[in-house]
Order: sequence, then C-alpha cells, then structure tokens
Amino acid sequence: MTKFTDRLWSELEHEHGPMLAQASRPGRSRVRRPRIIAGGTLAVAGAGVALALGLTATSSTPAFAVTRSASGSVLVSINLDSNLPQANAKLTAMGIDEQVIIYMASGPATTSGPVTCTPAKGVSGPPVQVLVGTNGTEVIAPGATVGNTGEGTWHLNSCTAVATGSGNSGNTGSGNTGSGS
Amino acid sequence: MYLRNVDVLMGYFTRRCREPQTVADLTSETFVRAVEGFATFDPRRGSERAWLFGIAVHVFARHCEQSAGGRDAVARLSGHRPLDDDEIEELAGRIDAERAGAALMRRYARLPPVERAAIELVDLEEFTPKEAAHALGVSRVAFRQRLSRARSRLRKEHQDND
Repeated sequence: MTKFTDRLWSELEHEHGPMLAQASRPGRSRVRRPRIIAGGTLAVAGAGVALALGLTATSSTPAFAVTRSASGSVLVSINLDSNLPQANAKLTAMGIDEQVIIYMASGPATTSGPVTCTPAKGVSGPPVQVLVGTNGTEVIAPGATVGNTGEGTWHLNSCTAVATGSGNSGNTGSGNTGSGS
Repeated sequence: MYLRNVDVLMGYFTRRCREPQTVADLTSETFVRAVEGFATFDPRRGSERAWLFGIAVHVFARHCEQSAGGRDAVARLSGHRPLDDDEIEELAGRIDAERAGAALMRRYARLPPVERAAIELVDLEEFTPKEAAHALGVSRVAFRQRLSRARSRLRKEHQDND
C-alpha cells in the first residue's frame, strides 16, 4: 500500500461507506445455492445465541459464519474476503442493521483472532468483530482466482460497521461529477 | 477487490498520463464509479479485473474527450482533493517506472484505439482474451479479430522499419 492508495481507500470508505456496504451484498443472480446444508437444518446453540453457517458450493467447509453471543455482540467469520457479501446478507437476515466493510493488507496477521469493527456514524447496533481465514490470515493460492489477482497472504487490517440502509450524502466527487459547465 | 486491483489500474493510467494529479483523479473516479455501479458486476460474466478495466477505459475516454474539448477534464471529472507532496512524489515515481510501458503505448499510437487496447490488455496486463474482451465490451470473436489485426499491423510496421 502506498500513501495515495491508502488515502483513496479512506476517502471511499468515508464518502461511500453505505454504498460500499450495499456493494458487498450479493445480487440475486450471484447467490449460489449451497449443495450441502449442515444436518439439513441450522443449529441453534442455546438461548439468546443465533448461529448461521454458509457452506461453499463445492465442499463442506463453512464459507462464513455469523454468531451472536449472549452479550449481544456479533462475530462474523469468513474463510475468504470474497465470502463477505454472503455474511453481510446473513447479518440482514438475522435482523442486524449493520453491514461490514473490511480492509485487507498483505502479509500474515501479526496477532491471531478477530478484529473489532469501528462503528460508522449512525450505527446503533451491537459491536461486530470479524475473523478472516485461519486465525486472521487468508492465503490465496496461485490459480485460485482469475488472472491470479490477489494471490498471496493477506490479513484483516481494519473493518468498519455501517448502518444498513443509510443513504449516501450525494456529494460524490465533491458534487462536480458529471456536471456540465 | 480494491487492494487486488488498485495497482494495476494505476498502471493503466500512468502509461497514459504524465501528471500525478491526473493519474490520482482518474484512479479515484474509476473506483467511485465501481462502487456506484457494483450492482452491475456479475462474476459469471467476467473477472472483477476485467470489469474494473472496462470502467477505467470509459473514464479515460471521457477524460480525453473533455481534454480535446479544451476543458479542464480533471476538475469536471471528479473534483477530488489535491495531492500532498508525498503523494505527488509517489505517483511521479510510479509514472517514471512505467516509462517503458508508456513508450510502448506511444509506439502503438498509430493503431486504432480499440486495437491498441487489445494489445495492451493481453501483452502488458496479461489478461486472457476472454477477460480482455469483457473489459472492452466486445465479443470474444470480435476481440480476437482486433488482436490479430493489431499484431499484423505491428509486424508490418516492424518489417517496414527494418
């Protein structure tokens, strides 16, 4: 990451946070129907705790999991950063009015475990933590993506929780985008 | 998606622009449009890289149209914040590092834009023909014809120079 790319991302996050969260939601046409459902039903792990598991289309490895602790905080676990849209959709399905935006950085995680998301303005829901890959490190093998984009080792650098359905400010590009003069 | 592609998109613009601020604005504009139009992205139709390049191609084309019209394209395109000194230095270094690619683009300047883009995406960016076709919004058959024509023209030009 360079200073420019770092700041550009910060600006995108700041000015288009809600839209980035919307972008993370899969369109209906992109949702893959899992071939395997764990035990045919979702497990409920005790009173006050909801558990949602997503499975990849080709294996029984959970692609993502959204769990709510008894204290109300939410843990979003995703195998790959590309599983985030499904996890965000699950948050909505569970009635949690928050969407997560993650910010990956190269290299393995220096500390294992989940990262606590910074709540954006207007978020009043429960605290959200995100865990990516194995103990916070995601490995994308050569050939795993088209053109080998993203190949290498990544970790979750930071994440932001934004309110579901919050509108954009409408000041995209300082309001000059596409204006005629 | 941002981290996986921001570098390669900046490369596309640094081969075409000499001003760090222009590179910054065009890169920003591409990602703003990507965020706004994410609903149109369907991974079954092509890779995210191809989709983003498709946006970048349009952003650059618009920039050129407005520049040709004698207007301040950068200001009209985005109005993003001015860069600080560190960022200017960073981007100037990046533009410098892309000199070879920029020289190649100048050499290809006589090719029609569509053929130039075909050569660039496949030979410089290592897109598959399918990805490149998606990025340029043409069918794979049409893309292969353009690529083939571009290579024939370059071969002929090379032979003529010899």
